[in-house]
Amino acid sequence: MANGPSVPSLPESSACSEVRIANTMSELARVAELVDAFGADHKLPNSVIVALNVSLDEILNNIISYGYDDTGRHDIVVRLELRRENVQVVVEDDGRPFNPLEVAPPNLRDKSREGGVGLHFVRSLTDDLKYARRDGINQLRLMKRLTE
Amino acid sequence: MKLVEGMSEDVTIVEAYGRLDSTTAKEFGDRLISLVQSGRGAIVVDLKNIDYISSAGFRALLITKRATTEKQAKLALCGVTGEVKRLFEIGAFTDEFLICPTQADGVGKLRQ
Repeated sequence: MANGPSVPSLPESSACSEVRIANTMSELARVAELVDAFGADHKLPNSVIVALNVSLDEILNNIISYGYDDTGRHDIVVRLELRRENVQVVVEDDGRPFNPLEVAPPNLRDKSREGGVGLHFVRSLTDDLKYARRDGINQLRLMKRLTE
Repeated sequence: MKLVEGMSEDVTIVEAYGRLDSTTAKEFGDRLISLVQSGRGAIVVDLKNIDYISSAGFRALLITKRATTEKQAKLALCGVTGEVKRLFEIGAFTDEFLICPTQADGVGKLRQ
């Protein structure tokens, strides 16, 4: 693909791990494997590994399911960066502009609820979320602290 | 994700292993629904060996619950601890299911 998400030069961090996947659901297993390996390599608490895995599953599922106006192949880049006190996760895709921070929280009492719970998980499991749209690329940055 | 199935008298027990997420929820849900459709009247799903459940996994559990209700079958979950328990709480799913501490508790509850 010619115009996939760019991989910008890496900021200073003590460790970084990255994977580029295609926009199909089966590719998500590779992301979970990356997170598990990253967590094991850096001895991250299980709660942090779970938070990253669930958040990435929700975000990537959204992008793959609803993010594209065509049926073609697109690349999505997932990058994990270990800082001193937190993990930063960057997700970049070239789908249509979508800012998850603008999605209203779901009504958790509504038993017929179908949508919205995924982003509720992301918001609940992470400590900071930032969205930017640049040069046709959605960039979502999550921060997860290493201690509660 | 892996499923191990067994019976305790007339109660079906399904032990799930690994991740319950976008890539595995369909296989998980399809198998549980087919058990319900084939006439299993009581099913205990043991989540003790599940690493985590994303919203796709919870959706599969909710669809299974709906199917059991339609068939007048019964569903219990057990092994909901640690991070999985926390995810049930975050999603407010705890009250949507009959949750028992262990397989034996679930079997006992469903045979009442």
